Amino acid sequence: MFGWHGRLLQVDLSAGRARTESLPEEWLHHYLGGRGIAVRLFRDFFQTEPYSPEMPLIFATGPLCATAAPTAERMAVVSRSPLTRTLYDCSVGGRFAQQLKCAGFDVVQIVGRAAVPMVLAITPSGAELLPADSLWGSTVPTTIAALNGRGSVVAIGPAGEHLVPFATIITDDGNAADRGGLGAVMGSKRLKAVVVSGAKLPEIADPARFERAHNDILRLFRAAPVLFGELGFGAYGTPTLVDLLAQRRMTPTENFRKTFFAAAANYSGPALRAAYAPHKVGCCGCPLQCQKVTADGAYLPGYEALSHFGALNNIGDLAAIITAIRTCHELGLDPVSAAATLATWGEVRGAFVTEAELVPLLRDLVWRRGAGEPLCVGSRQLALAAGKPEVSMSVKGLELPAYDPRGAYGMALAYCTNNHGGCHLGAYPLAHEILRKPAPTDRFSFAGKARMIKIAEDINAAVDSLVACKFAFLGAGIEEYAELLAAVTGVDFTPERLKEIGECIYLTERWYNDVNGFSVIDDCLPERFFREAGSRGDGIEVPPLDRARFDEELQKYYRMRGLDAHGRFVDRNFLVSLTC
Amino acid sequence: MLSQLDKYLGKLHRDALVKPQRAALLVKDDTLLAQGPADLSSLGAAILERINVLALAIAEPLLPLTDLLIRRAAPDCRTLVPSDTETRTFLHDIPLVRKAEFATGASALLADLLASRKGIIVEGVGIVTTGAMTPEMAYINWSSVWHAVFVKYLSDLLTTGIRSPDDELMVAALREQYRRPITTVDCCVRATPPVERSDIYAQIERIGRCTVDLQLVDSAFGNISWRDGGMIYISQTGASLDELAGCIDPVPSDNSSTVGLTASSELLAHRRIYEATGARAILHGHPKFAVVLSMLCAEPGCENIDCWKDCPRIRFLATTPIVPGEIGAGGLADKVAPVIGAAGTALVYGHGVFAIGREHFGEALERLVAVENWCRQEYFRRLVVRMT
Repeated sequence: MFGWHGRLLQVDLSAGRARTESLPEEWLHHYLGGRGIAVRLFRDFFQTEPYSPEMPLIFATGPLCATAAPTAERMAVVSRSPLTRTLYDCSVGGRFAQQLKCAGFDVVQIVGRAAVPMVLAITPSGAELLPADSLWGSTVPTTIAALNGRGSVVAIGPAGEHLVPFATIITDDGNAADRGGLGAVMGSKRLKAVVVSGAKLPEIADPARFERAHNDILRLFRAAPVLFGELGFGAYGTPTLVDLLAQRRMTPTENFRKTFFAAAANYSGPALRAAYAPHKVGCCGCPLQCQKVTADGAYLPGYEALSHFGALNNIGDLAAIITAIRTCHELGLDPVSAAATLATWGEVRGAFVTEAELVPLLRDLVWRRGAGEPLCVGSRQLALAAGKPEVSMSVKGLELPAYDPRGAYGMALAYCTNNHGGCHLGAYPLAHEILRKPAPTDRFSFAGKARMIKIAEDINAAVDSLVACKFAFLGAGIEEYAELLAAVTGVDFTPERLKEIGECIYLTERWYNDVNGFSVIDDCLPERFFREAGSRGDGIEVPPLDRARFDEELQKYYRMRGLDAHGRFVDRNFLVSLTC
Repeated sequence: MLSQLDKYLGKLHRDALVKPQRAALLVKDDTLLAQGPADLSSLGAAILERINVLALAIAEPLLPLTDLLIRRAAPDCRTLVPSDTETRTFLHDIPLVRKAEFATGASALLADLLASRKGIIVEGVGIVTTGAMTPEMAYINWSSVWHAVFVKYLSDLLTTGIRSPDDELMVAALREQYRRPITTVDCCVRATPPVERSDIYAQIERIGRCTVDLQLVDSAFGNISWRDGGMIYISQTGASLDELAGCIDPVPSDNSSTVGLTASSELLAHRRIYEATGARAILHGHPKFAVVLSMLCAEPGCENIDCWKDCPRIRFLATTPIVPGEIGAGGLADKVAPVIGAAGTALVYGHGVFAIGREHFGEALERLVAVENWCRQEYFRRLVVRMT
């Protein structure tokens, strides 16, 4: 078998043992890897409570991993989110996935709860549990430093240990399973870190075909200004979006009460370059190298964290923003949800947080003490407790990222149809509505958006299962990656087959949500977006969303998905009907 | 969505690319919408049933070059591999379907091919393309395939000669169609530089429409910019040059803002050209005859096979230099800027022409037109030599 090992490492922390299991080849062909294979593995667990010992935490690589396929040294980290109570997957780059694949495993599935804090060490010969009492309570950088030399590391910080429902799992090279609170699931298992080392690269079925597809993809990358252009992600990282989204009047400001923040230029791509003179780094095997690191080795944050600690909280001081985001990194907190929760709190109390309040509040939030205690539950629970549920700018409990939906109607729809909750990555409409890839669409129109979102969700579910980076698809397409996959595996995957696989994965997730009680009520944006206009300027008007058109397009979407008007499955035997 | 269908179907007809009443455009929203003749719409609907894309264009070109290319291809040939840059980069190759294959199971066969490629050519039908996300993409892909087909057919005539009476008839038709040189007299391009920002935008929009009207560029390719002090105003990536309103990015020369993230992929080339020449305006189009001639080289003893990126020499068509280089960050910018100053024009191998205006857009347009007019004449001169 090319592309996969067909091996799953099953770790039971309660029993303190690990064993290798076979992954059926049929599953791999039907679900690929990453998000897809995890969705299949969750079939018996999707109703399990997130903090239950039985709840699996999965690290799943894909068939392109460790093959030199561009942007594909990634994995999906998957479990049930304590924040949204949906299945949640994060696509994570770095080198951990490559090391795991080179250790001979496609997937690691961790269940149980250790009696005392542990570190899981994975090598080609199996796994070992190491005591981690001395690391419990440590920050992420301290933990990673302590494990230096044992391989690639993922770790949680104090936020995961304290079950903050938006805690992260962070890799040793600045990447993270940053959203959905999977760090808290790991913390609930008393698993402080996982280290892995491996050295055996997988074989490719057709190297010449792989080379051709690889070259086609790189040519498309070079032709894409948003990737390799002089203002693109390669040059500035995602902070290059700061200026663009400000000009488009799409910057969520003061908890989404406005869509323009005059001080955003303080933390733009050029501002970061001027302040820190960073150099490029990035995920293993990625030609783009979109991460930026300062001379002293500190990772600079991405667009969403910057914008939410900046505009969303009405803070324009670059140093304060960077310090807050670094604090999140040290504590193992999702900076997007943390900043959004602070902004919600700011609106609840009638005053946004000050620069001086940021770090103490973040620390108090993690240790559930003082002023931070009410914040440790995330914005939705915070707003509910305050009697103002309307000020939580979230969907399904997931705080919205830094793209105001009034400025991109596909984004508005995609936030609602995403199985995770308010996340842009499921359909990534930013690509066509703002970045004009693969072709521009009218961001202020709902026309055709239901179909566009549906197609993109299917493709991205497959992409998350390969596992490749979504940025790659701002240049290349599913056609080129299907060719790459066929070359690696020797299996004749076509773009259409990948879309079918993606659709199956999306629908299975949606089915899990359906059984767990999610419906049209949960596929809804906060009322603010339908009532209040965004900030106008530069010849751009940002009116409130048209509720009737939004509902009409959502209903179209349901029909395309074969769902009823409530967004629920008509076929109540959906799972049984799946062939695999 | 219906308005989108009308718009892009209208563009196919307006560009004189398709036979009257032989073009259909379809969209799969929550229901199927189609515009065009019943037979093509029916075929398109059957294809859309089988593939997960939003739109499909199916149309017979005005000139039957697709059929002629298929007939010229070897019997076992399954794909055309044009050498022009756009095709190599974005389409890779173009599957072809012969009438005999097409007779049975048409929609399934075409759907299978369209599942892996943006466009195909079908004998007796024409060009079929998908639009993954929008009707505009189906139109752009149709236009791209047509550009590739045109360039390949004309290139093949010069390199492998006329092979049939049909080719002879086509040569006669092409000579008649392209007999008259392109003229800019109807373009209303002012020979004065814009001063106010609003005037800059207006002139860029006007010059963009001209380049499309004069068929110096197809679909959404090509780009335009104007330098004003420390700012470059440039068309956005993927923008149709005949619809540039709202699609022009102001980019500071010192990169103090990244608002130009959505600027044309050739922003770097434009910047380098401005630095090297001090020009005020740049037009970049893909005029077909210039593209064809740029790829024809008779350098004796040359063993280079990747001419489009590795050609070590600077060749000339009249006074216009030809350089290699790929799109965007692929090296084009570093090759064009040093050579464009002398003639005010430069040709990128298999790609297109850059033309500068030192004071205003009119100069750049005249230069671009002059290159294509010269290449048309030169093409037919060489064809006559080849035929005799």
